[in-house]
Amino acid sequence: MTSSSNRALIDQWIEEPAPLLPILHAFHDRDGYLSEEALREIAKALRIPLADLYGTVTFYHHFSTDPDRPQTAPRVCTGPVCRLHGSQDLLDELADQGATPMACAGRCDEPTPVLSGHNVYIGQHADALEIAPSLLPPFNPGGVEECVFSAIREPGRAMLDGYRRTGGYEGLAQAVGAMAPAEVIELVRESGLAGRGGAGFPTAVKWAAVADAESEPKTIVCNADEGEPGCFKDRAILDHDPHAVIEGIAIAAYATGASRGFIYLRYEYPHTYSVLERAIAEAYEAGYLGDDILGSGFTFDLYLRRGAGAYICGEETSLLNSLEGKHPFPRNRPPYPVTHGFEDLPTAVNNVETLAAASHILRKGAAWYQGLGLDDRAGTKVISLSGDIQRPGNYEVPFGLPLKTLLYDWAGGPLPGRTIQAVTMAGLSGGFLAGDDLDVTLDEPGIRAKGSFLGAGGIMVFDDSRDMVDVAHNAMEFFAHESCGKCFPCRIGTQRLTERLNGGGPADLDDWLTEVQDIGYTMKELSACGLGMAAPAITDSLIRYFPEQVEGHVKA
Amino acid sequence: MSEQSSVTLTLTLDGKPVTFHEGETLYEVATRHGKAIPTLCYDPRLAAFGACRMCVVEVEGARTPVASCTTVAAAGSNVSTTSERIEKHRKTLLELIASENPALEVDPLRGYASQELATLVDAYDAHTGRFAGEHSGRSKIEDDNPFILRDYDLCISCYRCVRVCAEQEGDYAISILNRGFHTRIATEFDGLLRDSACTFCGQCIQTCPTGALADRKALRFAEMEMIAAD
Ligand SMILES: Cc1cc2nc3c(=O)[nH]c(=O)nc-3n(C[C@H](O)[C@H](O)[C@H](O)COP(=O)(O)O)c2cc1C
Ligand code: SF4
Repeated sequence: MTSSSNRALIDQWIEEPAPLLPILHAFHDRDGYLSEEALREIAKALRIPLADLYGTVTFYHHFSTDPDRPQTAPRVCTGPVCRLHGSQDLLDELADQGATPMACAGRCDEPTPVLSGHNVYIGQHADALEIAPSLLPPFNPGGVEECVFSAIREPGRAMLDGYRRTGGYEGLAQAVGAMAPAEVIELVRESGLAGRGGAGFPTAVKWAAVADAESEPKTIVCNADEGEPGCFKDRAILDHDPHAVIEGIAIAAYATGASRGFIYLRYEYPHTYSVLERAIAEAYEAGYLGDDILGSGFTFDLYLRRGAGAYICGEETSLLNSLEGKHPFPRNRPPYPVTHGFEDLPTAVNNVETLAAASHILRKGAAWYQGLGLDDRAGTKVISLSGDIQRPGNYEVPFGLPLKTLLYDWAGGPLPGRTIQAVTMAGLSGGFLAGDDLDVTLDEPGIRAKGSFLGAGGIMVFDDSRDMVDVAHNAMEFFAHESCGKCFPCRIGTQRLTERLNGGGPADLDDWLTEVQDIGYTMKELSACGLGMAAPAITDSLIRYFPEQVEGHVKA
Repeated sequence: MSEQSSVTLTLTLDGKPVTFHEGETLYEVATRHGKAIPTLCYDPRLAAFGACRMCVVEVEGARTPVASCTTVAAAGSNVSTTSERIEKHRKTLLELIASENPALEVDPLRGYASQELATLVDAYDAHTGRFAGEHSGRSKIEDDNPFILRDYDLCISCYRCVRVCAEQEGDYAISILNRGFHTRIATEFDGLLRDSACTFCGQCIQTCPTGALADRKALRFAEMEMIAAD
């Protein structure tokens, strides 16, 4: 097989928007690493200063500039849940193949993922690694009505035919055929839909801001970076119901007046990439994307882009810099992406789950969605549940469901003979909940009242056999590894907290506590983005719930 | 000129009403009115970056302090440039910064270099030894060019050198390698300045707030003077 010339790899993408990442991936895939020669040629073609390009490439965990650590060398997940399943041993077993660790790769329901080239293998031993499809979400026991998962288990749903057979693209047809953009936004407003990517911002308010913004062209970005440890819902949605997300993107585009869109997919989901490639092609073929969608005169193009291993690129402004080929530091806000987003033009960034929910809402109505929540709460949330629990998986819960109902009735409770010691919230970003605070309902007001937040909905369970200081250390190591390095409190603070959870810092307990709390206080109040603001939730909640374990750690 | 930019607006700064122009940042307003707000990543010639967070101020109604360098002033707001809370944060920040470098005392030979950091650490009495841990810098001693000393043991990752090189000179000779605590300042492929796009203009030395970058010619001169004085 002859490999493509450098020029051909570049030419394949250079006329498209956001060309840098796909060009880098094309060279990375072909050569196994990014050579000096490749970077020189890419820098010249895209007119990026070479030093900038080199610096940016080193920002991403998975890009290799070293032929001895090729793109195909195994990367073993050492995330919070996989560690419980011995991923460190697996890493050792694969050492002779040049294996290196990677942060949580979003497969917490089936540990342990090993990424090699474009394949993800699952298993706990080197001789038992297999490629396996994403698991479908388990049914909930009470037959509680779902939204995002309501049709995901239908056979063939991932293909266009199956999707259409089960109501697919009816929402989009309804929107472009019979509704004004402002009516679409109004419907979403009535449904109560809010962002499912972490921040919970009302979706209709965001769309209206983009619709009202004056400059053009406008852009929709589907945030499929899913880097939060313990979160694996977007993968399940995209693998089994990709058209629901594409339909949601097209609806968002129609509502806001956007003419172009991107799906920014995390590197660790190569299978999902091929699912989306196919689904996008099908949607173009059938007239749901491209020129004159469904004969309405509305035109919208959708591009698929792949990250390269950086949790911070899920933060929307870092994501936009990444798409633009810039160093992926978060931007200062305001201005916000709704007015100054991709290429400084109006942009709506929305999570996968938010967009999938929108396509169901368009078809079934605002009142239906609103009514899915318990009491006065609107709608549902997908929770990725994993760790020391009988039946891990993605569960779509009505807002207001008691956490304990999910843990015990839906997911079977802890493993035999064990009790639940703590759970994390918002993946890792919400810190731990434990003790009496496990008596909460799953909704933002309830969980925020406990000093945490629901966020993207990752919940990891740790039973009474676990050393919580060790769990906290691993969590802080993640934040330190993923800190972008822009702002001082987070860049230095995540490092110092990691050291203090690993035997470093003062030997005197009071001094240790003061240092850890002072660092946390300044990080929470002064960090420039959500990563640095959230990381101290780990140490704060550790100290609050597990003072004896902390004392034991410091004194040891 | 837009109509609004000539309009004079008012806000309250440390209890006193002050005037400002549309588009001014809180940092600009405050310094123009004689407030001494500490900064490390700020250079008036460069786009505000918002990294060091030393310049935070309190704005009534905001949940947390805001970086004054990147916050545009709003009419009617009530701003405090100092408070117990803010001074505590500034001291913690300086202690954290002091903890990441092996030494803060810049060689007197480098008197030509900036003492911005050292002065602030003294002013806040922040050389306390708290937050001790791994050091972040790594001196680039192998870069033996005759003009610019690259002693990154003193670097605090404010990226002023990177930004001045790009924004003022348009050379883009250096950039930011890696991320988090492991960021470093580097040329393409982490090489030497003479093999890069560097023109040895010296802007980076001027803007560096720590003395991590120094002018080798000036150092040689100072050394000769010292020898002569002995
Ligand atoms: C450190 C950090 C990481 C984030 N990662 C993601 C992510 O992987 N996926 C996501 O949808 N949102 C992520 N977010 C939130 C986004 O910034 C943004 O709020 C979201 O994509 C907006 O979509 P929504 O309104 O539909 O939730 C992250 C935020 C922060 C601060
Ligand atoms: S809080 Fe952390 S991740 Fe966010 S900008 Fe600051 S250094 Fe970067």
